[in-house]
Amino acid sequence: MIAAPPFFAAYQTLVNAELDRLIPDDQTVVSRSMAYTVRAPSKRVRPVLTLLAAELCGGTSAGAITAAAVMELVHASSLILDDLPSMDDAPLRRGQKANHLEFGEAIAILAAFGLLNLAYGTVARTYEPAISGRLTTILSDAIGGDGLIGGQATDLLATDQQISFETLERIHRGKTGALFSAAATAGAVVSGASSDIIRSLSAYAKNLGLAFQIIDDLLDVEGDPRDTGKAVRADLKKTTFVSFSGIHGARQLALELCQTADRALEPFGKRADRLRELSQFVAGRSW
Amino acid sequence: MKETPEELHVDELRQRLRSMGYLDAGVNRFVLGPATDRRRPSIIALLAAVRVGALAAILLGPAAAIGLNGRVPGLVTGPRDAFVIAIYLGVFFGAAIFLATFAISLAVATLAAARVAERARQLSRVAGAIMAVACLAYLTLWWRSANAGFGWNAPIWTAFALTVAVGISLLLGHITSSAAFAVAMSRHTDAAPQIRRSSSSRSWMATVLAGIVAFAGAASLLVVTAPREPVAATRTALAVVSSGLRVKVVAIDGIDPHVVDELAAAGRLPALSLALRGAARAQLALDETNASRDPARVWTTIATGQPPAVHGVTELETRRVAGVQGTMAGRTESRLGRSLRGATDLLRLTRPSIASGHERKSKTMWEVAADAGLRTTVVNWWATWPAASAGDGAVILSDRALLRLDRGGALDAEIAPAAIYERLKGRWSGIRGRALARAHAAAAALEWGPPEIRTILMRSAELDAMQLELLHEVSLQAPDLSAVYLPGLDIAQNALLGARETALAPSDVSVRVGALRDYNVFLDRLLADVVRPGDADMVIVLTQPGRVVAEAAGLLGIAGKIAARGDVQARALDVAPTILHTLGVPISRELPGAPLLALFAPDFVRRYPIRQVATYGPPSLQNTERSGQPLDQEMIDRLRSLGYVK
Repeated sequence: MIAAPPFFAAYQTLVNAELDRLIPDDQTVVSRSMAYTVRAPSKRVRPVLTLLAAELCGGTSAGAITAAAVMELVHASSLILDDLPSMDDAPLRRGQKANHLEFGEAIAILAAFGLLNLAYGTVARTYEPAISGRLTTILSDAIGGDGLIGGQATDLLATDQQISFETLERIHRGKTGALFSAAATAGAVVSGASSDIIRSLSAYAKNLGLAFQIIDDLLDVEGDPRDTGKAVRADLKKTTFVSFSGIHGARQLALELCQTADRALEPFGKRADRLRELSQFVAGRSW
Repeated sequence: MKETPEELHVDELRQRLRSMGYLDAGVNRFVLGPATDRRRPSIIALLAAVRVGALAAILLGPAAAIGLNGRVPGLVTGPRDAFVIAIYLGVFFGAAIFLATFAISLAVATLAAARVAERARQLSRVAGAIMAVACLAYLTLWWRSANAGFGWNAPIWTAFALTVAVGISLLLGHITSSAAFAVAMSRHTDAAPQIRRSSSSRSWMATVLAGIVAFAGAASLLVVTAPREPVAATRTALAVVSSGLRVKVVAIDGIDPHVVDELAAAGRLPALSLALRGAARAQLALDETNASRDPARVWTTIATGQPPAVHGVTELETRRVAGVQGTMAGRTESRLGRSLRGATDLLRLTRPSIASGHERKSKTMWEVAADAGLRTTVVNWWATWPAASAGDGAVILSDRALLRLDRGGALDAEIAPAAIYERLKGRWSGIRGRALARAHAAAAALEWGPPEIRTILMRSAELDAMQLELLHEVSLQAPDLSAVYLPGLDIAQNALLGARETALAPSDVSVRVGALRDYNVFLDRLLADVVRPGDADMVIVLTQPGRVVAEAAGLLGIAGKIAARGDVQARALDVAPTILHTLGVPISRELPGAPLLALFAPDFVRRYPIRQVATYGPPSLQNTERSGQPLDQEMIDRLRSLGYVK
């Protein structure tokens, strides 16, 4: 097990503060449902990725913090929907009961849409039109048919089915990789990075995202729910990376993906060391 | 068949992930593969440059071989030669590109000091662009050169060639850029080699766009550098309007016109005077086409009617590249050229060879006459090996024929048609005996001085006599055009008066000059029957001053009933058109010279106006009989003993 890098805590604090600012404080049930999932203990890997990407491209945390928080809003929304009985029917998320078990299915659905709506609105209100337009496109791509929605749909249809390796990759790319890439790209965009740099960061995030998901599959097999914060062996009905390559093979591939992600950072030299630490952390995480 | 998860192994999964765009940070595996674990910029540059050089060798070697074949006729005689030349040039270009890439990579790394990621990328792109443009310019000019103005007359092939050139150039530019970028990054960030990704649709669009721009640039370059002269015209059949005359050409090397005039005036050259003083005579002024003392160059100019730059035989002593059958001519007048030749000889990369028909790009007058359906016979002319016959009516005894007849064995294209060799081989001892007898008879009572001088002159005399005897043997059916080259006087002059380490005493020079003057008399006796024209003959005596006589003109003398009287100035380039016109063959517009009408009687000129055709077409080396052991080394040894090869 590798501990989170030292800088991680400071970034997590920044992200949590921004999320607190963005979540409505009107105490309605939908707002409480939104806050329930968003404020639950989390690694905040995606928003931290946005912040690191922004800083790498010459931006500041202050300029990118809203975009980073938006990534977490979208992610939280996807978790609520993912856990619904009509989908994965998961009881445990982030160390606590799933949202629909706490607030009921209908409110959970509304909270998920509320988070998505909040994400788009925040982008539109925070950034100047040129950047908000690009961020909106990035979000739309990450959430749409080739992203979260497409990945989740494929995943649902594959339950209890024997699927190919390509289908499995399609699921992971949609459910995890798309938002990882969006998080890295968003950080670069708000910092005004060139297309070359965005391309390198996108390669980093793509490999890191799949590594992250493979580790997730591994943790589902051999993880401790006290560490992972969610039910283990919930994916027994599903084909995962472990199904194809075994535990050892999956770990090896995850490690190689993280190393590849690191190589994509070579043009940035030592300035990208924090992103490298992030990939090392992903490769060795146990939660 | 549906797979089950258990069937897959990590290696297979890894490959599948790569095909999906994972496990690929954009590292160019071919160029930077060996360097990814190394951090020293110079090592990375070295290893990357080796791979770029290897790729350049594979891509540019064959292309350059094709180009060189277009530029150096005779070098590539078959697939094996092409393969070997491609390897040589591949090594050459591979080494050059290796050095260029190594230098460029280190230069980019040095220049990209601050803000390395951005500057290194920009600089490496510039370096790649320079490499690509240089490569494309070379390949485009190569295509133009290889096709001698072919250009857009064959648009499909040209477009295909340019597309390949663009592809090669972009690839080399790209990998050079990759190497330069990796070296720069490693120098300033201590990072392993990495380059930008290139698999996105935008990158492909940019590549395609660059390719289109490069193609347009290459096409423009092709147009801008296109040769101004018109491209080769279409060859048409040659219609002969014959005057009924047979033309006999006797070519004598080493003749000094002043000596001829002096001896003729004294009545010592009764036979040669018929052609050289008695009737029409042209003095072939020295110009760039015949000023050289190189016999292969000069006599091929006379035979083709084209200057050396066009006919391609520029030097008697050529070079054969190790492993290649073909030869490569090249002037070695410069000190650098001589040094280079010496160095490659020393390294056994090249070895001496003798100018041959492989280098010749223009048809000889006897080939044109044979194309027109006339019977021809040629004996011992320079650069006539390998002998290629157009049929039984076209007999060629090449400059290696005597050597083959002496050595025996199967033909290696020394004589054509092959049946002639079979006939001559069986009678060779008789032919040789008669020739020697004629030589000794003609030399009788001549003052040839001391024995060592006499030995030299007799060697020449026997050589000339044998060539004439061979001409007689193969001319039984009275060819429309016969031509024989007699080298004896030139060989003797070179042996007696040529360059030597110690200067001769004046008295020795006087004796030798006297002996050589007598050799003119010997030739007159030897040629008495040949140069006396019959009613249906026209005799043309051609002379050149040879390798020793300085600043003397050549001569063209005509004897026969259509010859006028007089003495005109002409060029060596006019000889072939004059002979072809005499035979009634139309004159190619590609020939720079013209028939010397002033040498002909007015009635002949009026009745036979000059007719022209667009072109004679290129020479052909088909129908060569090459089953025997090549006599390359024997030929060199013989020419060395005769003083032609140092």
